[in-house]
Amino acid sequence: MNPHSLFSSFNPANEPDTLASHERAEIDASTRLPVLLFFGSAILWLLIGSLLGLISAWKMTHPGFLDQMAWLTFGRLRPAHLNTVIYGWASAAGIGVGLWLMARLCRIPLIHSKLLISAAIFWNLGVFVGVLGILAGDSRSIEWLEFPGYATPILFIAYAFIGIWAIIMFRFRKPGHVYVSQWYLFAAFLWFPWLYATANILLIWQPIQGSAQGAVNWWFAHNVLGLWFTPIGLASAYYMIPKVIGRPIHSYYLSILGFWSLALFYSWNGMHHLIGGPFPAWMVSASVVASIMMFIPVVTVAINHHMTMRGHFDALKWSPTLRFTVFGAMTYTLVSLQGSSMAIPSLNTLTHFTDYTIGHAHLGLYGFFSMMMFGAMYYIVPRLTGWEWPSAAAIRWHFWLVASGIILMVGSLSLGGVLQGLALYDPQVSFRSSLDYATPFRLARGVSGFLLLAGHLVFAIHFAVMLLKIGRRREGPALFAEPSNPGAATV
Amino acid sequence: MTAGFLLLIGGLVFLSGSALFAFYWSVKDGQLDNLGEAAKTIFDDGEPIGAATDKFPSRK
Repeated sequence: MNPHSLFSSFNPANEPDTLASHERAEIDASTRLPVLLFFGSAILWLLIGSLLGLISAWKMTHPGFLDQMAWLTFGRLRPAHLNTVIYGWASAAGIGVGLWLMARLCRIPLIHSKLLISAAIFWNLGVFVGVLGILAGDSRSIEWLEFPGYATPILFIAYAFIGIWAIIMFRFRKPGHVYVSQWYLFAAFLWFPWLYATANILLIWQPIQGSAQGAVNWWFAHNVLGLWFTPIGLASAYYMIPKVIGRPIHSYYLSILGFWSLALFYSWNGMHHLIGGPFPAWMVSASVVASIMMFIPVVTVAINHHMTMRGHFDALKWSPTLRFTVFGAMTYTLVSLQGSSMAIPSLNTLTHFTDYTIGHAHLGLYGFFSMMMFGAMYYIVPRLTGWEWPSAAAIRWHFWLVASGIILMVGSLSLGGVLQGLALYDPQVSFRSSLDYATPFRLARGVSGFLLLAGHLVFAIHFAVMLLKIGRRREGPALFAEPSNPGAATV
Repeated sequence: MTAGFLLLIGGLVFLSGSALFAFYWSVKDGQLDNLGEAAKTIFDDGEPIGAATDKFPSRK
């Protein structure tokens, strides 16, 4: 229909823009319950996980702190922290963002929401049982797979539901182009259940023997980052950045190249954790080569996001989503290039077994992935609830607390790690004294934990207030108006 | 142990195979034919190119 026809003036509900807005609002509304369930539980786990992490960090400098009860000892708290933030927070937040993006990109309302609600319940049950199991002393002491054997099948059921749902949604999508974010999401949803099942079979149910366990362990743990968190984070960035500023991706060609090179190279990366270990040289070498090849997908993403943003950096002042997402996107470039460099054997001997690695892990999972998830939540939640975020100040507090927290954490751990590594190189320095180099930096890391926890508290309260619908109703299905006075927003 | 390794290798083949198949499908389906237009598929008449869609909540 001609948008300027006489008929359309009498019946504006048939205007193409109104129709598109209503269709979008309908799709958003269909995702409300499952997505909010995943988001709400993720934020609760984030609070618990940050508290567990903070106590663990404090114990590194104050070993006597809370050491009276077995379940509060470092050996249990630290894996409980790791698994709470990996599975309880990051994965659940990622699933929530993924569900919403899938519905939008398939251009159909979400179907089979009961499957997803069951998945959310199983998911949280699995994490709850798993964390309690670790605290009770049932940890399996396999990094990233510490959840006891009775918790993992529950998580697997939830994963499987989501994978099946993703296939169904994809099958019933509206015809048309499959946007790059959808490729990333589809890869994540299908690869992860398989990764998780394989690792559990080979390490828990029918354990393979000897050092091969290490190979499976790191193949799994690194692929969780590369084939689960990374694709979800990038899917979000590839959607949020163009949508928020209203400009298509700079080079779609590069984005496709980036996706396929990630799919090709990432699954080979895990063995770089085993440099110097008792493994066939070819395994480690192939992994080092694949790690360097990661430059290709990383640089394509970096160029693309930067060039899309070029000329629009003032948008960081007025868009909360963009502020978190661009922080995450920049960190993605940084952490990935850092990771590739850490796979170079000569550098690896310096940084391995020091706090540098811990800093790298937090930069990836927090600086990149969690910041992406915060950004996406700021965009998605108002569209599900129909309410605006109540407080701009709370968003700013959240951003500056967590941004300064993660910068302090990664900065201190990296610097302390290098000093620790140099001390470990020096035959004149005893192992005990090498730890002294790290102590002041570990104290700074403890302080950064307070900043992060404070930021999460602000976010959690803000989210709860929003769910209670305190604040202003959003204006119509077209949602936010164009920023009429962007300068009004202060940083 | 042999069964374990077979499973691992089989898994790697499956992982790579699924990616290769998806790539084959995307070429055959014409997904890579017009990349310039493809980037615009997330925009529509309600949220066209040039319109920003997010901002800090306004104070009243």
